[in-house]
Amino acid sequence: MGHLELHNLQVQFGGLRAVDGLNLSLEQGELRCLLGPNGAGKSTTLDLICGKTAASGGSVIFGGIDVTHMAEYERARHGIGRKFQVPSVFKDLSVIENLEVARSQQPGVLASLRVFRSRLSGRMDEVLTIVGLHDHLHVKAGNLSHGQTQWLEIAMLLMQDCKLILMDEPTAGMTVQETLKTADIFNSLRGSHTMLVVEHDMSFVRVIAEQVTVMDQGKLLAQGTVAEIERDPKVRQAYLGDEETADAAS
Amino acid sequence: MNTTFKTDIIGYGLFAALILFVVPWAFSFDGFELNTFARYLTLGMVAMALALSWGYAGVLNLGQAATFGLGSYVMAMHLKLRASASSHNGMPDFMGWTNVEVLPWFWEPFHSLTFTLVAGLALPALVAWLMAVFMFRGRVTGVFVAIITLAFLVALQLVFISEQRYTGGQNGLTGLAPLELFGWRADAYSTSFYYMVAGCLITALALGLAVVRSKVGLILRAIREDADRVRFFGYDVARYETLAFCVSAALAGWAGMLYVLVLEFASPTYMSVPFSLGIVIWCAVGGRESLVAAALGAVVVNMLEGRLSNIFVEGWFLFLGILFIVVVLVMPRGLYGLFSDALQRLQTASPRDRGGKVATKTTRLSATPAVKEEN
Amino acid sequence: MDSVLNQVFAGLSMASILLIVALGLAIIYGAMGVINLAHGEFVMLGAYSAWFLQEQFGLGILVALPVIFLMVGVVGWLVERGVVRWLYHRPLDTILATWGIGIVLQQLVRLGIGPESRYVARPEILDGNVILGGLVMSNYRIFLIAFSAAVLVGTWYLLTRTEFGTKLRAVIQNKEISECYGIRPERVYALTFAYGAGLAGIAGALITPLVSVTPGMGTYVVVDAFLVVIVGGVGSLIGTAVASGLVGTASAAFSFLLNDTLGRVALLLAIILLIRFRPMGLFPDKVRR
Repeated sequence: MGHLELHNLQVQFGGLRAVDGLNLSLEQGELRCLLGPNGAGKSTTLDLICGKTAASGGSVIFGGIDVTHMAEYERARHGIGRKFQVPSVFKDLSVIENLEVARSQQPGVLASLRVFRSRLSGRMDEVLTIVGLHDHLHVKAGNLSHGQTQWLEIAMLLMQDCKLILMDEPTAGMTVQETLKTADIFNSLRGSHTMLVVEHDMSFVRVIAEQVTVMDQGKLLAQGTVAEIERDPKVRQAYLGDEETADAAS
Repeated sequence: MNTTFKTDIIGYGLFAALILFVVPWAFSFDGFELNTFARYLTLGMVAMALALSWGYAGVLNLGQAATFGLGSYVMAMHLKLRASASSHNGMPDFMGWTNVEVLPWFWEPFHSLTFTLVAGLALPALVAWLMAVFMFRGRVTGVFVAIITLAFLVALQLVFISEQRYTGGQNGLTGLAPLELFGWRADAYSTSFYYMVAGCLITALALGLAVVRSKVGLILRAIREDADRVRFFGYDVARYETLAFCVSAALAGWAGMLYVLVLEFASPTYMSVPFSLGIVIWCAVGGRESLVAAALGAVVVNMLEGRLSNIFVEGWFLFLGILFIVVVLVMPRGLYGLFSDALQRLQTASPRDRGGKVATKTTRLSATPAVKEEN
Repeated sequence: MDSVLNQVFAGLSMASILLIVALGLAIIYGAMGVINLAHGEFVMLGAYSAWFLQEQFGLGILVALPVIFLMVGVVGWLVERGVVRWLYHRPLDTILATWGIGIVLQQLVRLGIGPESRYVARPEILDGNVILGGLVMSNYRIFLIAFSAAVLVGTWYLLTRTEFGTKLRAVIQNKEISECYGIRPERVYALTFAYGAGLAGIAGALITPLVSVTPGMGTYVVVDAFLVVIVGGVGSLIGTAVASGLVGTASAAFSFLLNDTLGRVALLLAIILLIRFRPMGLFPDKVRR
């Protein structure tokens, strides 16, 4: 039994079936990349897993527990974390305050009443060293550069220390060096964390992923290693098919 | 290490010293003046309560006067029973006029002082808790919270005015006995009474600061910015909002109890829309991001009112309306915003701290409006 | 039976005025997302304009209506240009600012004209009643119902059949792209706000023969109008019309069955419950924003 399992997952918006009977299984500690053309339902799949969108059918099983009908915060407490496409840090809070929010092992109101000062404890120190934000502890997140904001968000994910990390295009807008550094971080998390990453940058996918899943029109299209996927005619059809018909039309 | 924390503590200390030492001395311990100032302090307390929910959690409670009014009626009911001890059946006089034969059951427990003091905090908190669960479980936010709380306030006041048999109606509760606490008789025009009110405010501020300086305050600020993101970290946003709302209500109830002691009567105007608007204005003028600043805002605006309304009686409310619009338009962070911007500029200019890049950026950011909210 | 019918008729005529107030409120909210707490004061200004024009120039309400529409519209335009336009990205602050504006307008009238009640005469042409069995319908109330229907149709025409309406709907859908096509959103916003205010002014003028004119009269009307907007949803004229009929008669029924105060309380509770459970109204706009 996998760490994360999706069974016949479905959701509709109006008449559109954004995700249509998706089955997926991730092993403990696996890093899986989720590919697919625009509108394939990749981001929606992540939304369904983390609870941002409610499924209209099927189930999400995480760590053997059915989380399909749980609220977002309850899923987060079970260890599901999410990084969004648009960097979503708290701009009015300082770097260290952002990390304190992310340190959410005790999310209850009463537990929070007892914590008075964000301390640079061992884990926070470690995380800050990984992402290199030590010199900016008290800077408001809104004043960080774009790259630094991305790092802060990854640092928040590390602080949250969730068992399953869902990521939506984590390297968008990053420089080549930053992308490489991100790949290093991902590789170091492999084994201890299960990760599901939506990504378009194939060079990045080649560096991090063993297994790749391709979606098209809300359904699972193909699954396998990067090399296998790149050879798969169905995948080529899904990505290029539109272009061919477009060419034919013009 | 944390400048806002330092500013908070210093501000708190200065404010406490001001109201404990400077004010009584400046009014040369005159009972009448101190009574007036004690009134300002209770209003400061309710403004501070609003800052807790509005400034920190972004929950704009336009009906803050409702919980304030509840607290004031709780205290007034006890004092009214005290004053009516010798009358027929020990019943308040106004009930006799409306032919109520026996004391209604919900008046009974207010014979007890302990019950009254607890209820003054607990009843507003309970009402707020019911509203909070109702609103926040359903993820009502922003302007809709404002409208719901405003509608609730209007409804509550209508009920209090119309149920004259039990509440004294439009007249409120008058002819109250003085409060007796551990053998101490509260004389609203004495110096000791002033110190009691000032002490309450200082204690309430300390409680409020403890909440907002704890991680709860941090989570509330995060919720104000992006509630959904906070949920994905596993925090139950509704419970945090509920806590802020209830603590705010309890503090407002406390202020309401004191207000009755200061003015020696309770009136449905304490839960009127203009009064509630007043609370919002004081809070906005002082600065909703800081509890001390909000309290100070109430004191300053009311002192102004005390001075100016002698000169132009009718025009005061007009002036207040214009002041409010101007504050919302050009200084949404209130006096506190002006002050903290100036402080930051001073720090940037000082040669010791020339890692200028960070500091200038912070200044620039703080010029942008504090409340960002999507509808 | 007859008394019930008469009640319903009275409720319906109040609902007509409510419809005009609510239309303005809904248009302003629908177009700009602004909850205009000063709307009741626009109604009040309309009523005072009617009183002023009658007192000073001997103009009857019917003749004065266009003038009043323009006068209050100009006030609305000034309010939008002067205050509201700076706050479009801060919805909570628009509530506060319009609240402040309401206070200022009320106080200006109280100081300038005085707090005492004023009265406006009913137009003489509309004196008299139509009697249908036991149902007595005053001509003025019949006129109100007909007039509000005309306002509804006019607004529908304005929004769907004119260039202004097309521009407005374009701006509501996507402000940035409309700008690219040469539409100036700030002008559209200002005119929409002015139109909404003007409607409130007309409603205020029309109500004068039925109630006394006081500086605080607006707040009373606006609560009902809010309920209409919440029930009817924004962006649906039919919804607004049906909702004002419902709220108008329900309000009359509540006051009739319980008493005035409890009727108000019931209305307020209805507002609270509806916001919580049906925030998009009972007739939601079908288009996703």
